[in-house]
Amino acid sequence: MHHAKLIDNLTYPETANTHKLFFGIAAIAGLLSIAGLFTDTRQFFFSYLTSFVFIISISLGSLFFVMIHHITRSEYGVTLRRIPETFASYIYILGFLFVPILFGMDYLYLWMDEAVLAKDQLIADKTPYLNQTFFIIRNVIYFAVWGFLGYKLYANATKMDETGDWGIDTSQRKVSAPGVFLFAFTVAFAAFDWMMSLDPAWFSTMFGVYFFSMSFQVFFAVVILMALYLRSKGLLANTIKEAHLRDMTLLFFGFTVFYAYIAFGQYFLIYYANFPKEILWFYNRFENGYATIAWALLFGKFIIPFILLLPAKAKSNMKLVGSVAVMIIVLHFVEIYWIIMPVLHKGDISIHWLDITLLVTMISVFMGLFFNKFRQNNMVANNDPKLEASLSKH
Amino acid sequence: MSTIEQKTHGILAEFKNPGHLMKAAKLTNKAGYKKFDCHSPFPIHGMDDAMGLKPSKLGFIVMGHALIGFLGGLALQIWTSSIAYPINISGKPFVNLPAFIPVTFELTILLSAFGAVFGMFFLNNLPKLHNSLFNSERFKKATDDGFFVVIESDDALYDASKTRQFLESAGAVHIETIEK
Repeated sequence: MHHAKLIDNLTYPETANTHKLFFGIAAIAGLLSIAGLFTDTRQFFFSYLTSFVFIISISLGSLFFVMIHHITRSEYGVTLRRIPETFASYIYILGFLFVPILFGMDYLYLWMDEAVLAKDQLIADKTPYLNQTFFIIRNVIYFAVWGFLGYKLYANATKMDETGDWGIDTSQRKVSAPGVFLFAFTVAFAAFDWMMSLDPAWFSTMFGVYFFSMSFQVFFAVVILMALYLRSKGLLANTIKEAHLRDMTLLFFGFTVFYAYIAFGQYFLIYYANFPKEILWFYNRFENGYATIAWALLFGKFIIPFILLLPAKAKSNMKLVGSVAVMIIVLHFVEIYWIIMPVLHKGDISIHWLDITLLVTMISVFMGLFFNKFRQNNMVANNDPKLEASLSKH
Repeated sequence: MSTIEQKTHGILAEFKNPGHLMKAAKLTNKAGYKKFDCHSPFPIHGMDDAMGLKPSKLGFIVMGHALIGFLGGLALQIWTSSIAYPINISGKPFVNLPAFIPVTFELTILLSAFGAVFGMFFLNNLPKLHNSLFNSERFKKATDDGFFVVIESDDALYDASKTRQFLESAGAVHIETIEK
Protein backbone atom coordinates (compact mmCIF):
# COMPACT_ATOMS: atom_id res chain seq x y z
CA MET A 1 0.00 0.00 0.00
CA HIS A 2 1.25 3.47 -0.75
CA HIS A 3 0.33 6.42 1.37
CA ALA A 4 -0.47 9.49 -0.60
CA LYS A 5 0.87 12.79 0.69
CA LEU A 6 -0.19 16.33 0.10
CA ILE A 7 2.33 17.75 -2.35
CA ASP A 8 0.45 20.69 -3.80
CA ASN A 9 0.55 24.31 -2.70
CA LEU A 10 -2.00 24.77 0.05
CA THR A 11 -2.95 28.35 -0.63
CA TYR A 12 -4.45 30.23 -3.51
CA PRO A 13 -1.75 32.40 -5.14
CA GLU A 14 -1.36 35.70 -3.25
CA THR A 15 -0.86 37.63 -6.44
CA ALA A 16 -4.08 36.41 -8.06
CA ASN A 17 -6.62 39.21 -8.19
CA THR A 18 -9.55 37.04 -9.18
CA HIS A 19 -11.76 38.50 -6.46
CA LYS A 20 -10.91 42.09 -7.36
CA LEU A 21 -11.78 41.40 -10.98
CA PHE A 22 -15.17 40.05 -9.95
CA PHE A 23 -15.85 42.93 -7.56
CA GLY A 24 -14.98 45.36 -10.34
CA ILE A 25 -17.46 43.77 -12.74
CA ALA A 26 -20.03 43.69 -9.95
CA ALA A 27 -19.60 47.42 -9.32
CA ILE A 28 -20.10 48.37 -12.98
CA ALA A 29 -23.05 46.05 -13.60
CA GLY A 30 -24.52 46.98 -10.23
CA LEU A 31 -24.46 50.71 -10.98
CA LEU A 32 -26.11 50.11 -14.35
CA SER A 33 -28.79 48.06 -12.64
CA ILE A 34 -29.50 50.76 -10.07
CA ALA A 35 -30.38 53.09 -12.96
CA GLY A 36 -32.96 50.48 -13.91
CA LEU A 37 -34.43 50.59 -10.42
CA PHE A 38 -35.78 54.07 -11.18
CA THR A 39 -36.90 53.45 -14.74
CA ASP A 40 -38.43 49.94 -14.48
CA THR A 41 -38.98 49.34 -10.78
CA ARG A 42 -41.17 46.28 -11.08
CA GLN A 43 -38.86 44.66 -13.65
CA PHE A 44 -35.89 45.43 -11.41
CA PHE A 45 -37.28 43.50 -8.46
CA PHE A 46 -38.32 40.51 -10.55
CA SER A 47 -34.90 40.33 -12.20
CA TYR A 48 -33.26 40.80 -8.82
CA LEU A 49 -35.23 37.95 -7.27
CA THR A 50 -34.42 35.65 -10.21
CA SER A 51 -30.68 36.29 -9.98
CA PHE A 52 -30.68 36.13 -6.21
CA VAL A 53 -32.40 32.75 -6.13
CA PHE A 54 -29.88 31.56 -8.71
CA ILE A 55 -26.83 32.30 -6.54
CA ILE A 56 -28.34 31.35 -3.19
CA SER A 57 -29.33 27.94 -4.58
CA ILE A 58 -25.64 27.20 -5.18
CA SER A 59 -24.79 28.18 -1.60
CA LEU A 60 -27.61 26.04 -0.25
CA GLY A 61 -26.54 23.01 -2.29
CA SER A 62 -23.01 23.50 -0.97
CA LEU A 63 -24.18 23.79 2.62
CA PHE A 64 -26.19 20.58 2.34
CA PHE A 65 -23.28 18.74 0.76
CA VAL A 66 -20.88 19.76 3.55
CA MET A 67 -23.33 18.70 6.27
CA ILE A 68 -24.06 15.34 4.66
CA HIS A 69 -20.35 14.82 4.14
CA HIS A 70 -19.68 15.31 7.86
CA ILE A 71 -22.61 13.23 9.06
CA THR A 72 -21.65 10.25 6.96
CA ARG A 73 -17.94 10.69 7.79
CA SER A 74 -17.24 10.49 4.07
CA GLU A 75 -13.76 10.21 2.66
CA TYR A 76 -14.40 10.66 -1.04
CA GLY A 77 -14.78 14.40 -1.02
CA VAL A 78 -12.30 15.54 1.64
CA THR A 79 -9.85 16.84 -0.96
CA LEU A 80 -12.38 19.16 -2.58
CA ARG A 81 -14.66 19.87 0.37
CA ARG A 82 -13.12 23.31 0.89
CA ILE A 83 -14.86 24.53 -2.27
CA PRO A 84 -18.42 23.89 -1.01
CA GLU A 85 -17.35 24.93 2.50
CA THR A 86 -16.30 28.30 1.12
CA PHE A 87 -19.49 28.70 -0.92
CA ALA A 88 -21.55 28.04 2.22
CA SER A 89 -19.41 30.21 4.50
CA TYR A 90 -20.77 33.59 3.40
CA ILE A 91 -24.52 33.00 3.26
CA TYR A 92 -24.86 35.60 6.02
CA ILE A 93 -23.48 38.19 3.59
CA LEU A 94 -25.94 37.05 0.94
CA GLY A 95 -28.61 37.62 3.61
CA PHE A 96 -27.91 41.36 3.26
CA LEU A 97 -28.35 41.05 -0.48
CA PHE A 98 -31.84 39.77 0.24
CA VAL A 99 -32.86 43.03 1.95
CA PRO A 100 -33.74 44.87 -1.31
CA ILE A 101 -36.35 42.18 -1.97
CA LEU A 102 -38.06 43.11 1.30
CA PHE A 103 -38.34 46.68 0.01
CA GLY A 104 -39.74 45.42 -3.29
CA MET A 105 -42.41 43.20 -1.81
CA ASP A 106 -45.15 45.55 -2.99
CA TYR A 107 -43.97 45.08 -6.56
CA LEU A 108 -43.33 41.34 -6.33
CA TYR A 109 -46.07 39.77 -4.31
CA LEU A 110 -49.71 39.94 -5.23
CA TRP A 111 -50.79 39.14 -1.66
CA MET A 112 -49.40 42.51 -0.57
CA ASP A 113 -52.06 44.25 -2.64
CA GLU A 114 -55.14 45.20 -0.58
CA ALA A 115 -57.27 45.46 -3.71
CA VAL A 116 -56.47 41.85 -4.62
CA LEU A 117 -57.21 40.65 -1.10
CA ALA A 118 -60.58 42.38 -1.09
CA LYS A 119 -61.53 40.73 -4.37
CA ASP A 120 -60.08 37.24 -3.94
CA GLN A 121 -61.23 35.35 -0.85
CA LEU A 122 -58.90 32.43 -1.58
CA ILE A 123 -55.83 34.67 -1.30
CA ALA A 124 -57.30 36.65 1.58
CA ASP A 125 -57.65 33.41 3.56
CA LYS A 126 -53.89 32.91 3.29
CA THR A 127 -52.94 36.23 4.90
CA PRO A 128 -52.27 34.70 8.35
CA TYR A 129 -49.23 33.18 6.67
CA LEU A 130 -48.67 35.48 3.72
CA ASN A 131 -48.27 38.87 5.33
CA GLN A 132 -45.38 41.29 5.39
CA THR A 133 -44.38 40.93 9.05
CA PHE A 134 -44.35 37.16 9.09
CA PHE A 135 -42.56 37.08 5.72
CA ILE A 136 -39.75 39.23 7.11
CA ILE A 137 -39.55 37.18 10.32
CA ARG A 138 -39.33 33.95 8.36
CA ASN A 139 -36.60 35.24 6.10
CA VAL A 140 -34.59 36.47 9.06
CA ILE A 141 -34.84 32.95 10.47
CA TYR A 142 -33.79 31.33 7.19
CA PHE A 143 -30.70 33.46 6.80
CA ALA A 144 -29.83 33.20 10.49
CA VAL A 145 -29.93 29.39 10.29
CA TRP A 146 -28.05 29.07 6.99
CA GLY A 147 -25.63 31.86 7.83
CA PHE A 148 -24.78 30.31 11.17
CA LEU A 149 -24.39 26.75 9.81
CA GLY A 150 -22.23 27.81 6.88
CA TYR A 151 -20.08 30.16 8.94
CA LYS A 152 -19.64 27.69 11.80
CA LEU A 153 -18.69 24.75 9.58
CA TYR A 154 -16.16 26.90 7.77
CA ALA A 155 -14.70 28.42 10.94
CA ASN A 156 -14.33 24.95 12.48
CA ALA A 157 -12.71 23.60 9.35
CA THR A 158 -10.12 26.37 9.14
CA LYS A 159 -9.45 26.03 12.86
CA MET A 160 -8.59 22.38 12.26
CA ASP A 161 -6.21 23.45 9.48
CA GLU A 162 -4.25 25.45 12.04
CA THR A 163 -4.48 23.41 15.21
CA GLY A 164 -4.74 19.89 13.81
CA ASP A 165 -7.21 19.08 16.57
CA TRP A 166 -9.16 16.06 15.39
CA GLY A 167 -11.78 16.62 18.07
CA ILE A 168 -13.14 19.35 15.81
CA ASP A 169 -14.29 16.61 13.47
CA THR A 170 -16.77 15.54 16.15
CA SER A 171 -18.08 19.06 16.64
CA GLN A 172 -18.55 19.33 12.87
CA ARG A 173 -20.90 16.35 13.08
CA LYS A 174 -22.69 17.89 16.05
CA VAL A 175 -23.36 21.03 14.01
CA SER A 176 -24.30 19.10 10.87
CA ALA A 177 -26.84 16.65 12.29
CA PRO A 178 -29.35 19.21 13.63
CA GLY A 179 -28.27 21.40 10.72
CA VAL A 180 -29.69 19.03 8.12
CA PHE A 181 -32.95 18.89 10.05
CA LEU A 182 -33.27 22.68 10.11
CA PHE A 183 -32.09 22.90 6.51
CA ALA A 184 -34.93 20.72 5.25
CA PHE A 185 -37.60 22.98 6.72
CA THR A 186 -36.01 26.32 5.98
CA VAL A 187 -35.26 25.51 2.35
CA ALA A 188 -38.75 24.20 1.71
CA PHE A 189 -40.41 27.24 3.27
CA ALA A 190 -37.99 29.64 1.60
CA ALA A 191 -39.00 28.14 -1.76
CA PHE A 192 -42.67 28.58 -0.85
CA ASP A 193 -42.10 32.17 0.21
CA TRP A 194 -39.82 33.41 -2.54
CA MET A 195 -41.24 31.71 -5.60
CA MET A 196 -44.46 29.82 -4.93
CA SER A 197 -46.18 32.78 -3.28
CA LEU A 198 -45.67 34.82 -6.45
CA ASP A 199 -48.80 33.00 -7.59
CA PRO A 200 -50.58 33.15 -4.25
CA ALA A 201 -53.60 31.13 -5.37
CA TRP A 202 -51.42 28.28 -6.52
CA PHE A 203 -49.71 25.71 -4.32
CA SER A 204 -47.70 22.55 -4.69
CA THR A 205 -46.59 20.59 -1.65
CA MET A 206 -43.63 19.34 -3.67
CA PHE A 207 -42.31 22.80 -4.40
CA GLY A 208 -39.78 22.78 -1.56
CA VAL A 209 -38.27 19.47 -2.65
CA TYR A 210 -38.38 20.71 -6.23
CA PHE A 211 -36.26 23.75 -5.34
CA PHE A 212 -33.88 21.57 -3.33
CA SER A 213 -33.46 19.07 -6.17
CA MET A 214 -32.63 21.91 -8.56
CA SER A 215 -30.15 23.40 -6.14
CA PHE A 216 -28.37 20.15 -5.43
CA GLN A 217 -28.09 19.32 -9.12
CA VAL A 218 -26.57 22.67 -9.97
CA PHE A 219 -24.26 22.45 -6.96
CA PHE A 220 -22.50 19.42 -8.43
CA ALA A 221 -22.14 21.18 -11.78
CA VAL A 222 -20.58 24.20 -10.06
CA VAL A 223 -18.21 22.23 -7.86
CA ILE A 224 -17.00 20.13 -10.79
CA LEU A 225 -16.32 23.26 -12.84
CA MET A 226 -14.52 24.92 -9.91
CA ALA A 227 -12.31 21.87 -9.43
CA LEU A 228 -11.57 21.75 -13.16
CA TYR A 229 -10.77 25.48 -13.11
CA LEU A 230 -8.33 25.07 -10.21
CA ARG A 231 -6.69 22.11 -11.91
CA SER A 232 -6.36 24.02 -15.15
CA LYS A 233 -4.44 26.69 -13.19
CA GLY A 234 -2.18 23.96 -11.84
CA LEU A 235 -3.67 24.25 -8.35
CA LEU A 236 -4.42 21.12 -6.34
CA ALA A 237 -3.65 19.06 -9.44
CA ASN A 238 -2.29 16.20 -7.34
CA THR A 239 -4.90 16.62 -4.61
CA ILE A 240 -8.19 16.69 -6.48
CA LYS A 241 -7.60 13.65 -8.65
CA GLU A 242 -9.55 12.04 -11.47
CA ALA A 243 -11.04 9.64 -8.92
CA HIS A 244 -12.55 12.49 -6.91
CA LEU A 245 -13.92 14.21 -10.00
CA ARG A 246 -15.38 10.92 -11.12
CA ASP A 247 -17.15 10.49 -7.78
CA MET A 248 -18.61 13.97 -8.04
CA THR A 249 -19.74 13.16 -11.57
CA LEU A 250 -21.46 10.02 -10.35
CA LEU A 251 -23.37 12.09 -7.80
CA PHE A 252 -24.02 14.77 -10.43
CA PHE A 253 -25.53 12.10 -12.66
CA GLY A 254 -27.55 10.63 -9.78
CA PHE A 255 -29.00 13.97 -8.74
CA THR A 256 -29.80 14.82 -12.35
CA VAL A 257 -32.09 11.80 -12.29
CA PHE A 258 -33.40 12.86 -8.87
CA TYR A 259 -34.19 16.34 -10.19
CA ALA A 260 -36.04 14.89 -13.17
CA TYR A 261 -38.01 12.57 -10.92
CA ILE A 262 -39.14 15.42 -8.65
CA ALA A 263 -39.77 17.96 -11.41
CA PHE A 264 -41.77 15.47 -13.44
CA GLY A 265 -43.59 14.20 -10.33
CA GLN A 266 -44.83 17.71 -9.58
CA TYR A 267 -45.93 18.30 -13.15
CA PHE A 268 -47.51 14.86 -13.51
CA LEU A 269 -49.75 15.06 -10.44
CA ILE A 270 -51.05 18.48 -11.38
CA TYR A 271 -51.50 17.55 -15.04
CA TYR A 272 -53.41 14.38 -14.23
CA ALA A 273 -55.72 15.89 -11.64
CA ASN A 274 -56.31 18.86 -13.96
CA PHE A 275 -57.85 21.15 -11.34
CA PRO A 276 -58.20 24.68 -12.71
CA LYS A 277 -56.56 26.37 -9.72
CA GLU A 278 -53.53 24.09 -9.95
CA ILE A 279 -53.15 23.69 -13.69
CA LEU A 280 -53.14 27.44 -14.28
CA TRP A 281 -49.56 27.70 -13.04
CA PHE A 282 -48.36 25.31 -15.73
CA TYR A 283 -50.79 26.74 -18.27
CA ASN A 284 -49.08 30.13 -17.97
CA ARG A 285 -45.69 28.45 -18.33
CA PHE A 286 -46.58 26.42 -21.43
CA GLU A 287 -47.37 29.42 -23.62
CA ASN A 288 -45.28 30.69 -26.52
CA GLY A 289 -41.68 31.30 -25.44
CA TYR A 290 -42.24 29.69 -22.06
CA ALA A 291 -43.21 26.46 -23.80
CA THR A 292 -39.86 26.53 -25.61
CA ILE A 293 -38.14 26.87 -22.23
CA ALA A 294 -40.15 23.97 -20.82
CA TRP A 295 -39.01 21.72 -23.66
CA ALA A 296 -35.44 22.94 -23.28
CA LEU A 297 -35.57 22.02 -19.60
CA LEU A 298 -36.90 18.53 -20.31
CA PHE A 299 -34.14 17.81 -22.82
CA GLY A 300 -31.30 19.93 -21.47
CA LYS A 301 -31.65 19.18 -17.78
CA PHE A 302 -32.51 15.52 -18.03
CA ILE A 303 -32.65 13.61 -21.32
CA ILE A 304 -29.41 14.87 -22.92
CA PRO A 305 -27.27 14.81 -19.72
CA PHE A 306 -28.70 11.39 -18.88
CA ILE A 307 -27.77 9.88 -22.24
CA LEU A 308 -24.38 11.63 -22.40
CA LEU A 309 -23.30 10.67 -18.89
CA LEU A 310 -24.75 7.14 -18.84
CA PRO A 311 -21.70 5.22 -20.17
CA ALA A 312 -19.08 4.46 -17.52
CA LYS A 313 -16.33 5.96 -19.71
CA ALA A 314 -18.18 9.25 -20.13
CA LYS A 315 -18.03 9.87 -16.38
CA SER A 316 -14.25 10.22 -16.49
CA ASN A 317 -14.20 12.28 -19.69
CA MET A 318 -13.84 15.69 -18.04
CA LYS A 319 -14.33 17.68 -21.25
CA LEU A 320 -17.74 16.10 -21.65
CA VAL A 321 -18.64 16.37 -17.97
CA GLY A 322 -17.55 20.02 -17.91
CA SER A 323 -19.70 20.83 -20.95
CA VAL A 324 -22.72 19.14 -19.40
CA ALA A 325 -22.06 21.07 -16.18
CA VAL A 326 -22.09 24.38 -18.06
CA MET A 327 -25.35 23.42 -19.76
CA ILE A 328 -26.95 22.54 -16.42
CA ILE A 329 -25.86 25.81 -14.80
CA VAL A 330 -27.27 27.88 -17.68
CA LEU A 331 -30.53 25.94 -17.69
CA HIS A 332 -30.78 26.18 -13.91
CA PHE A 333 -30.97 29.95 -14.28
CA VAL A 334 -33.41 29.58 -17.18
CA GLU A 335 -35.61 27.37 -15.02
CA ILE A 336 -35.72 29.93 -12.20
CA TYR A 337 -36.55 32.55 -14.84
CA TRP A 338 -39.31 30.24 -16.10
CA ILE A 339 -40.72 29.90 -12.58
CA ILE A 340 -40.62 33.60 -11.68
CA MET A 341 -41.03 35.66 -14.85
CA PRO A 342 -44.43 34.49 -16.13
CA VAL A 343 -45.86 36.37 -13.16
CA LEU A 344 -44.51 39.63 -14.56
CA HIS A 345 -44.64 38.99 -18.30
CA LYS A 346 -47.72 36.90 -18.83
CA GLY A 347 -48.11 35.27 -22.21
CA ASP A 348 -44.62 35.44 -23.63
CA ILE A 349 -40.98 35.90 -22.74
CA SER A 350 -39.72 39.44 -22.74
CA ILE A 351 -36.07 39.66 -21.88
CA HIS A 352 -35.12 42.94 -20.27
CA TRP A 353 -31.60 44.36 -20.02
CA LEU A 354 -31.99 44.29 -16.24
CA ASP A 355 -32.19 40.49 -16.38
CA ILE A 356 -28.67 40.48 -17.73
CA THR A 357 -27.05 43.25 -15.70
CA LEU A 358 -28.47 41.93 -12.45
CA LEU A 359 -27.42 38.39 -13.27
CA VAL A 360 -23.89 39.61 -13.99
CA THR A 361 -23.90 41.64 -10.76
CA MET A 362 -25.08 38.75 -8.63
CA ILE A 363 -22.70 36.20 -10.12
CA SER A 364 -19.78 38.62 -9.81
CA VAL A 365 -20.56 39.42 -6.18
CA PHE A 366 -21.01 35.71 -5.48
CA MET A 367 -17.77 34.65 -7.15
CA GLY A 368 -15.86 37.65 -5.81
CA LEU A 369 -16.86 36.74 -2.28
CA PHE A 370 -15.88 33.16 -3.00
CA PHE A 371 -12.37 33.95 -4.17
CA ASN A 372 -11.94 36.53 -1.45
CA LYS A 373 -12.62 33.81 1.14
CA PHE A 374 -10.84 31.11 -0.77
CA ARG A 375 -7.48 32.90 -0.83
CA GLN A 376 -7.52 33.64 2.89
CA ASN A 377 -7.26 30.02 4.00
CA ASN A 378 -5.93 26.71 2.78
CA MET A 379 -7.59 25.32 -0.33
CA VAL A 380 -7.66 21.87 1.19
CA ALA A 381 -8.31 20.57 4.72
CA ASN A 382 -4.66 19.65 5.33
CA ASN A 383 -5.17 18.31 8.86
CA ASP A 384 -8.37 16.40 8.26
CA PRO A 385 -8.23 12.88 9.76
CA LYS A 386 -9.68 11.43 6.57
CA LEU A 387 -7.48 13.34 4.15
CA GLU A 388 -4.94 10.57 3.67
CA ALA A 389 -7.64 8.02 2.88
CA SER A 390 -9.15 10.48 0.42
CA LEU A 391 -5.82 11.17 -1.25
CA SER A 392 -5.20 7.43 -1.70
CA LYS A 393 -8.32 7.09 -3.79
CA HIS A 394 -7.81 5.78 -7.27
CA MET B 1 -14.91 -42.14 -8.34
CA SER B 2 -15.22 -44.36 -11.36
CA THR B 3 -12.41 -46.54 -12.58
CA ILE B 4 -12.36 -44.80 -15.93
CA GLU B 5 -9.49 -42.34 -16.25
CA GLN B 6 -9.96 -39.34 -14.05
CA LYS B 7 -10.03 -35.98 -15.73
CA THR B 8 -8.21 -33.03 -14.30
CA HIS B 9 -9.90 -29.71 -13.70
CA GLY B 10 -6.66 -27.79 -13.61
CA ILE B 11 -3.63 -26.90 -11.59
CA LEU B 12 -3.87 -24.98 -8.35
CA ALA B 13 -0.88 -22.95 -7.23
CA GLU B 14 -0.59 -21.20 -3.91
CA PHE B 15 1.34 -17.96 -3.45
CA LYS B 16 2.76 -16.38 -0.35
CA ASN B 17 1.05 -13.01 -0.33
CA PRO B 18 -1.06 -10.62 -2.42
CA GLY B 19 2.05 -9.13 -4.02
CA HIS B 20 3.24 -12.50 -5.28
CA LEU B 21 -0.26 -13.35 -6.43
CA MET B 22 -0.45 -10.13 -8.40
CA LYS B 23 2.91 -10.85 -10.04
CA ALA B 24 1.83 -14.40 -10.85
CA ALA B 25 -1.42 -13.13 -12.36
CA LYS B 26 0.54 -10.76 -14.59
CA LEU B 27 2.91 -13.53 -15.69
CA THR B 28 0.06 -15.95 -16.37
CA ASN B 29 -1.72 -13.36 -18.45
CA LYS B 30 1.48 -12.56 -20.30
CA ALA B 31 2.16 -16.24 -20.97
CA GLY B 32 -1.08 -16.31 -22.92
CA TYR B 33 -3.32 -18.37 -20.65
CA LYS B 34 -6.95 -17.44 -21.02
CA LYS B 35 -8.82 -19.80 -18.69
CA PHE B 36 -7.32 -19.00 -15.34
CA ASP B 37 -8.55 -17.38 -12.19
CA CYS B 38 -7.17 -15.92 -8.98
CA HIS B 39 -8.56 -16.44 -5.50
CA SER B 40 -7.81 -14.38 -2.44
CA PRO B 41 -9.55 -13.79 0.90
CA PHE B 42 -10.09 -10.14 0.05
CA PRO B 43 -10.34 -8.01 -3.08
CA ILE B 44 -6.97 -6.83 -4.40
CA HIS B 45 -6.93 -3.48 -6.12
CA GLY B 46 -5.57 -3.64 -9.66
CA MET B 47 -6.15 -7.38 -10.02
CA ASP B 48 -8.45 -6.92 -13.02
CA ASP B 49 -5.68 -5.18 -14.93
CA ALA B 50 -3.05 -7.70 -13.83
CA MET B 51 -5.18 -10.57 -15.07
CA GLY B 52 -5.97 -8.73 -18.28
CA LEU B 53 -9.71 -8.88 -17.68
CA LYS B 54 -11.86 -6.85 -20.01
CA PRO B 55 -14.62 -4.62 -18.60
CA SER B 56 -17.73 -6.62 -17.79
CA LYS B 57 -20.36 -7.03 -20.47
CA LEU B 58 -23.06 -6.72 -17.83
CA GLY B 59 -23.74 -3.07 -18.73
CA PHE B 60 -24.85 -4.03 -22.23
CA ILE B 61 -27.14 -6.75 -20.90
CA VAL B 62 -28.74 -4.23 -18.52
CA MET B 63 -29.06 -1.66 -21.31
CA GLY B 64 -30.81 -4.21 -23.53
CA HIS B 65 -33.28 -5.07 -20.81
CA ALA B 66 -33.85 -1.41 -20.02
CA LEU B 67 -34.73 -0.66 -23.64
CA ILE B 68 -37.09 -3.64 -23.79
CA GLY B 69 -38.77 -2.44 -20.58
CA PHE B 70 -39.01 1.12 -21.85
CA LEU B 71 -40.39 0.31 -25.30
CA GLY B 72 -42.48 -2.61 -24.08
CA GLY B 73 -44.05 -0.50 -21.34
CA LEU B 74 -44.92 2.26 -23.76
CA ALA B 75 -46.21 -0.15 -26.41
CA LEU B 76 -48.40 -1.99 -23.90
CA GLN B 77 -50.07 1.21 -22.72
CA ILE B 78 -50.47 2.70 -26.17
CA TRP B 79 -52.01 -0.53 -27.46
CA THR B 80 -54.39 -1.08 -24.53
CA SER B 81 -55.58 2.47 -24.11
CA SER B 82 -55.80 3.63 -27.70
CA ILE B 83 -56.30 0.52 -29.85
CA ALA B 84 -57.67 -2.40 -27.89
CA TYR B 85 -59.98 -0.61 -25.49
CA PRO B 86 -59.99 3.18 -25.79
CA ILE B 87 -61.57 4.89 -22.79
CA ASN B 88 -62.11 8.62 -22.57
CA ILE B 89 -60.59 9.72 -19.26
CA SER B 90 -61.63 13.30 -18.48
CA GLY B 91 -61.16 14.29 -22.11
CA LYS B 92 -57.45 13.50 -22.21
CA PRO B 93 -55.95 12.09 -25.40
CA PHE B 94 -55.89 8.31 -25.76
CA VAL B 95 -52.15 8.33 -26.28
CA ASN B 96 -51.36 10.33 -23.18
CA LEU B 97 -47.57 10.22 -22.82
CA PRO B 98 -47.17 12.02 -19.46
CA ALA B 99 -49.63 9.58 -17.91
CA PHE B 100 -47.68 6.65 -19.35
CA ILE B 101 -44.36 7.68 -17.84
CA PRO B 102 -44.74 6.04 -14.38
CA VAL B 103 -45.48 2.59 -15.79
CA THR B 104 -42.79 2.95 -18.46
CA PHE B 105 -40.31 4.08 -15.81
CA GLU B 106 -41.15 1.22 -13.46
CA LEU B 107 -40.90 -1.39 -16.21
CA THR B 108 -37.55 0.03 -17.32
CA ILE B 109 -36.21 -0.23 -13.78
CA LEU B 110 -37.72 -3.67 -13.18
CA LEU B 111 -36.28 -5.22 -16.32
CA SER B 112 -32.91 -3.50 -15.75
CA ALA B 113 -32.76 -5.01 -12.28
CA PHE B 114 -33.66 -8.43 -13.65
CA GLY B 115 -31.06 -7.99 -16.36
CA ALA B 116 -28.41 -7.02 -13.80
CA VAL B 117 -29.09 -9.89 -11.39
CA PHE B 118 -29.74 -12.70 -13.87
CA GLY B 119 -27.13 -11.37 -16.27
CA MET B 120 -24.61 -11.58 -13.42
CA PHE B 121 -25.74 -15.19 -12.76
CA PHE B 122 -25.36 -16.01 -16.44
CA LEU B 123 -21.91 -14.44 -16.81
CA ASN B 124 -20.69 -16.25 -13.68
CA ASN B 125 -22.16 -19.62 -14.73
CA LEU B 126 -24.43 -19.60 -11.71
CA PRO B 127 -26.17 -21.42 -10.15
CA LYS B 128 -23.53 -24.09 -9.85
CA LEU B 129 -23.90 -26.89 -7.34
CA HIS B 130 -20.29 -27.91 -7.18
CA ASN B 131 -16.92 -26.56 -8.21
CA SER B 132 -14.03 -28.98 -8.69
CA LEU B 133 -11.83 -26.64 -6.65
CA PHE B 134 -13.70 -27.78 -3.55
CA ASN B 135 -11.97 -31.17 -3.98
CA SER B 136 -8.82 -29.55 -2.68
CA GLU B 137 -8.36 -29.38 1.09
CA ARG B 138 -5.86 -26.63 0.72
CA PHE B 139 -8.21 -24.41 -1.31
CA LYS B 140 -10.24 -23.78 1.86
CA LYS B 141 -7.51 -21.34 2.81
CA ALA B 142 -8.83 -19.03 0.09
CA THR B 143 -11.29 -17.65 2.62
CA ASP B 144 -8.60 -17.12 5.22
CA ASP B 145 -4.95 -16.67 4.22
CA GLY B 146 -4.45 -18.43 0.90
CA PHE B 147 -3.65 -16.72 -2.39
CA PHE B 148 -4.24 -18.98 -5.37
CA VAL B 149 -3.94 -19.09 -9.12
CA VAL B 150 -5.86 -21.80 -10.97
CA ILE B 151 -5.08 -22.64 -14.60
CA GLU B 152 -7.83 -24.79 -16.06
CA SER B 153 -7.10 -27.84 -18.20
CA ASP B 154 -9.50 -26.52 -20.89
CA ASP B 155 -7.02 -23.80 -21.73
CA ALA B 156 -5.46 -24.14 -25.17
CA LEU B 157 -1.95 -23.73 -23.76
CA TYR B 158 -2.50 -26.20 -20.93
CA ASP B 159 0.05 -28.96 -20.63
CA ALA B 160 0.27 -30.90 -17.36
CA SER B 161 4.03 -30.67 -16.91
CA LYS B 162 4.73 -27.38 -18.67
CA THR B 163 2.03 -25.50 -16.82
CA ARG B 164 3.29 -26.92 -13.54
CA GLN B 165 6.80 -25.75 -14.38
CA PHE B 166 5.52 -22.36 -15.35
CA LEU B 167 3.71 -21.90 -12.05
CA GLU B 168 6.78 -23.03 -10.12
CA SER B 169 8.87 -20.45 -11.96
CA ALA B 170 6.23 -17.82 -11.15
CA GLY B 171 7.00 -18.35 -7.47
CA ALA B 172 4.31 -20.72 -6.23
CA VAL B 173 4.91 -22.17 -2.77
CA HIS B 174 2.62 -25.15 -3.31
CA ILE B 175 1.21 -26.76 -6.44
CA GLU B 176 -1.42 -29.44 -6.81
CA THR B 177 -3.52 -30.95 -9.56
CA ILE B 178 -7.27 -30.63 -9.09
CA GLU B 179 -9.36 -33.64 -10.12
CA LYS B 180 -12.80 -33.26 -11.60
